[in-house]
Amino acid sequence: MRFSHMLKGIAFGAAALGLMSMSAHAADKVIKIGVIYDYSGPLAGGGSELQALGAKTIIDHINETGGVEGYMIDAIYADAQSKPDIAINEAVRLIEQENVDMLLGFYSSAQCVPVSAKVDSLKKFMWITTCIAPDVLEGRGLKYVFRPQVHGGMFGELSVEFIHGVAKEKFGMDPKEVRLAIIHEDGPYGTGVAAGNEAKAKALGMEVVLNEGYAATSADLSALVTKLKRARPDVILHTGYNPDITLFFRQAKERGLKFKALIGHGAGYGVADSLYDALGNDVDYVFNVDPVSIWLLDPKSLKPGLAEITQIVGDKYEAARPGTTVKSAHVGMAASNAYVFFNDVLPRAIKTYGGVGPDALRQAALDTDIPEGGTLLGFGVKFPTPGSTTMDGQNERASPVVVQYVNREVKVAWPKALQTSDPVLPLPATSPYAK
Amino acid sequence: METFFDNLFSVFFIETLLNGLLYGGVLALLSLGLNLIFGVIDVVWICYAELVMLGMYAVYFAHNVYGLPMLPACAVAILAVALLGYILHRVVIAHVLGKAPINQLLATGGVLFFLQSIATLIFGVEFLSVGVSLGSFQITEDIYVSKSQLVAFIIAAVTVLGMYLFLSRSYMGAAIRAISQDREIMILMGVDANRLYGITSAIGGGLAGLAACLLALQFDVHPFVGISFGPLVFMICVMGGLGNLVGGFIAAFVFAQLIATGSYFADLEWGAVLAFCVFVIAMFIRPEGLFARKS
Repeated sequence: MRFSHMLKGIAFGAAALGLMSMSAHAADKVIKIGVIYDYSGPLAGGGSELQALGAKTIIDHINETGGVEGYMIDAIYADAQSKPDIAINEAVRLIEQENVDMLLGFYSSAQCVPVSAKVDSLKKFMWITTCIAPDVLEGRGLKYVFRPQVHGGMFGELSVEFIHGVAKEKFGMDPKEVRLAIIHEDGPYGTGVAAGNEAKAKALGMEVVLNEGYAATSADLSALVTKLKRARPDVILHTGYNPDITLFFRQAKERGLKFKALIGHGAGYGVADSLYDALGNDVDYVFNVDPVSIWLLDPKSLKPGLAEITQIVGDKYEAARPGTTVKSAHVGMAASNAYVFFNDVLPRAIKTYGGVGPDALRQAALDTDIPEGGTLLGFGVKFPTPGSTTMDGQNERASPVVVQYVNREVKVAWPKALQTSDPVLPLPATSPYAK
Repeated sequence: METFFDNLFSVFFIETLLNGLLYGGVLALLSLGLNLIFGVIDVVWICYAELVMLGMYAVYFAHNVYGLPMLPACAVAILAVALLGYILHRVVIAHVLGKAPINQLLATGGVLFFLQSIATLIFGVEFLSVGVSLGSFQITEDIYVSKSQLVAFIIAAVTVLGMYLFLSRSYMGAAIRAISQDREIMILMGVDANRLYGITSAIGGGLAGLAACLLALQFDVHPFVGISFGPLVFMICVMGGLGNLVGGFIAAFVFAQLIATGSYFADLEWGAVLAFCVFVIAMFIRPEGLFARKS
């Protein structure tokens, strides 16, 4: 009897030890991720820090809820300092010295273009949450770089489609008579969006009366304002970061620039609070093209469970930035794109492809097939079969919307199916820029 | 298709020239303090634009946070940056006087990164706006003149004149000029060089504070705002002849006009290309600066 008790005890102890070792082994499983955004430099306040907050919120949430398939996330955060050379150095440091399994993040396209080539050549997996320039992926055949985000060409095309769609009703003009001016910062982001603007305008037979690039660090944009006054556009399509956007608005107001509508394209235009703080109500009736803010979507249109994630992201956002009146789309954008990775791609890589190596992650990413309504941003995710398009790694189901800022509120203006209010244009007489 | 002559005889060309003139005033104001300090102390403050940045924060906090009216807020900013200039001299510059120029550049370059980083830590990366606009004058249907740039232009002109009178007519000014001409002899004659350097640094800092007051009307304040104009101001000072107040003043207007007209007739980036080409050629012809005094 005593002996059988002893045997049972030994068996129980061995089983317990086994379980403990298994659990210790599970806890040992870690995916090391290098997360790179700009925490300093001009891009930090221009939206990058908010993007970083969105990604970190999701990473923290995943760890708090037990990780992914037995893996905890060990995130190493790095500051690109708003400089491409620092972004490259940090990416290489994270890969070669910190031995991260993959990289996630990146706000600036000027950083993404060189970093993506470098990371791909090092055969590491890179999940881009933000930077939108087509040049990041276009014609480069990158194998390990994936972007669930909308690309800049789509931004540029949508703003022109919007004006084309409303010209008759709002301006009483044939769309072909509307005079468009394209102004943009001269990095890959600005030129990529501007190329989308121009291509769509050409396709729709609309007139572009000015297409000008400028350095985002310009100390003076009065020459740009004078050229716009000379070109007399009805609609200005602007792509810029935040310091140059506010400088442009101030100098345009001081020099009497008038127009019927202005459409921004993400980045600085996505931080409505900063724009209102800097320019007051002059920002009213400005449009912005971006993926829709996750807080503007009808929860019923999303897959069950996603509304709770949106709520968690919103709560953490408010805790981190008390006093925020307009929740920036930037936070939701990074949160959504990061969540797709941790909730869909990573579990598949572990379960189906056996781990978190670059090839397992790549295969899992290529298998992604999320229908519309399956992400916090509303759009689906599907990457093209390698070699089937010129943009390997680009989410084919991503789509932006046009929003309008009215009295510190964000209204969805286009596409028509998602409209939350009738867009106001031309600018009402209360605007200092009204034509 | 508009031709070169259409653009030349357009009303917008007049506005372009005005833009260049007024922007020149802003750049001239920025170059004054840097030139004064180099002329007297013979050390280039690479971190000068960062002093301007701190001055802009001082304006923001005095006006927007502590509720001072704009003019007293500017006075606070000028005094604060003047004090900062003095401290910078005593803590950093005084220890590298007479050392190799590269050591001096590295020291003030280090201060640049220190100030950017400390501003990021204290104030964060948000863009802060003073929210004050002076508006503009409308001259014709198409030509407007920015009041804030006009004020910068007038203040730059008055300040250059004031500095000229101060240096040429006052006892302190004469002492500053004397020590800038011969540092060794003045010390042998019993002059307290450190006191003069300290006063000059405070005046240079005060000029940075003055520039900050006017820039705060145009730019959002953030730790890296100096990037937008720091390198340009340094080039202007070099082109005018480092240490030459009048030379820097004229070079600022030459630079601003080249940028404005170049941007008007070609793509915007060509304005800066034209100005930098002229700078490079000027450096080949007169490496000591176009308006440098002959030694």
